[in-house]
Amino acid sequence: MERLDFEEGEVLRVGAESVIKAVRWRGLELVRKHRIPKKYRRPEIDERIRRSRTIHEAKTIVTLSENGVPVPLLIFLDIAGSSIYMQRIVGVEMRDYLVDGVDFSGAAYELGRITGLTHSLKISHGDLTLSNILVAENGKMWLIDFGLSLFNATLEDLAVDLHLLGRSLESTHPSLHRRFMEMFMSGYSEVAGSAQLSKIMEKVAEIRRRGRYVVRAGT
Amino acid sequence: MPRLLALGIESTAHTFGVGVVDSDGRILSDVKKTYIPERGGIHPREAAQSHARNAVNAVREALADAGVKIEDIDLIAFSQGPGMGPCLRTGATVARTLSLSLGKPLVGVNHAVAHVEVGKLVTGCRDPLILYVAGGNTLITCLVERRYRVLGETLDIAAGNCLDHFGIMAGIGPMPSAERLAQSGREVRPLPYKVKGMDVSFSGLLTAAEKLLRDGAPLEDVCLSITETVYSMLTEVVERALAYTGKNSLLVVGGLARSRRLSEMLGSMCSDRGVSMYVVPPDLAGDNGPMIAWTGILQYLNGQTLTVEESVVKPRMRIDEVEVGWRG
Repeated sequence: MERLDFEEGEVLRVGAESVIKAVRWRGLELVRKHRIPKKYRRPEIDERIRRSRTIHEAKTIVTLSENGVPVPLLIFLDIAGSSIYMQRIVGVEMRDYLVDGVDFSGAAYELGRITGLTHSLKISHGDLTLSNILVAENGKMWLIDFGLSLFNATLEDLAVDLHLLGRSLESTHPSLHRRFMEMFMSGYSEVAGSAQLSKIMEKVAEIRRRGRYVVRAGT
Repeated sequence: MPRLLALGIESTAHTFGVGVVDSDGRILSDVKKTYIPERGGIHPREAAQSHARNAVNAVREALADAGVKIEDIDLIAFSQGPGMGPCLRTGATVARTLSLSLGKPLVGVNHAVAHVEVGKLVTGCRDPLILYVAGGNTLITCLVERRYRVLGETLDIAAGNCLDHFGIMAGIGPMPSAERLAQSGREVRPLPYKVKGMDVSFSGLLTAAEKLLRDGAPLEDVCLSITETVYSMLTEVVERALAYTGKNSLLVVGGLARSRRLSEMLGSMCSDRGVSMYVVPPDLAGDNGPMIAWTGILQYLNGQTLTVEESVVKPRMRIDEVEVGWRG
């Protein structure tokens, strides 16, 4: 068997569930995303979750890149090592890009378009927060982190994406929330159509009414 | 500033709580009258009737325990929401009556904010990320631009609700029964593990656990599987929120803050991340009067009082409806 001569470099990012390291392979700049074991979880649960998310993320980014959604290219999947090797994207997280005074309307519109495109493939992101959107220096936007994504997503799953994005804005950038979502929605409806957008927004409103306070169940 | 005394009335669900707290943050009394259904879960109207029967005695006891007279009280605070309508209305009625008859200001308190504030008061932590996890609520929040912003929450039922419901269905009763039996469980069976961003969903997990039991899995194993899965999901979303916000302390409040296993998991995650963890003490974890009284003082000092006309209860009140004018 051919040896996989990856050269591991520095740690780029330590997320909640994974460590991203720079990797070089035959002249290509890659990253290795390694889902690390979580000591707090029992191994039976931990292994199942890491394995399924790793496989899932790989499948999703392959499907999305085939369909023109800007996601890192998959290079190599190491299921046993719960690691994905993929194209290295250099950019800042949207959360840090949204500093005071930045003109975000183009970025919000483009994000809406990309999300609409993803959703038109019946794929939900599952974790669409501002830290999972990268903005490159040339302004190009990339979606990352698909461990919680779903194929054959239901209307509810798609609506959860918009709910998560909206709440991510509300919680850390409350003053930008409204304007950002307006631009996002116009980009979204350009791809997905305004009928689909209003169906989704109705569902988002329903999700938001739920969960606030649920009367204790029982008989 | 002279010391203020607040009387707080909590009645969002099965506990009718009355507490007296002073503006130095001293808890002078904490009286709880808990409605225990004969079987099954809480029936809101029956709970409200039980609260109405207990109200006068609870107020009397709270004053006596605190060693103060009703005339010494400077303000009356009550839980305005979120919660069960009939229960909230009972507490609000008692609070309005006291406020009008004594001529003292009335303060409407958000139940979730109160859990957070009493947790901050007694643990002394500053600017934490907060996990509020209980029978009726599951949310992750932190203070940004003068409001408790929701970072994550349940998309369907609360974590405590899931475990209580399971226990009632299995015939062992609400928490902590499931966690106690889990200690003799041997095998963790796979159950749906639904995390979406920093949100969680427990209803599919509850249905699957009930099915496991019907299909003959040992009760202890199912208890182990459901508690481990619920707590793993909670710990994971808290870790996500810590990573997202960059906070370096975590405060755990609400009834499930009493769970040893949940604290153990959260503690393990926090120590791996170098985050300090604070857990509200057991006697203030569940619903209680002092948390309402203390938050009432904070709001009163911030000018947030209500007229009787404004004091209508809000069963679906959100935590981010409240403007937080006091220190983080």
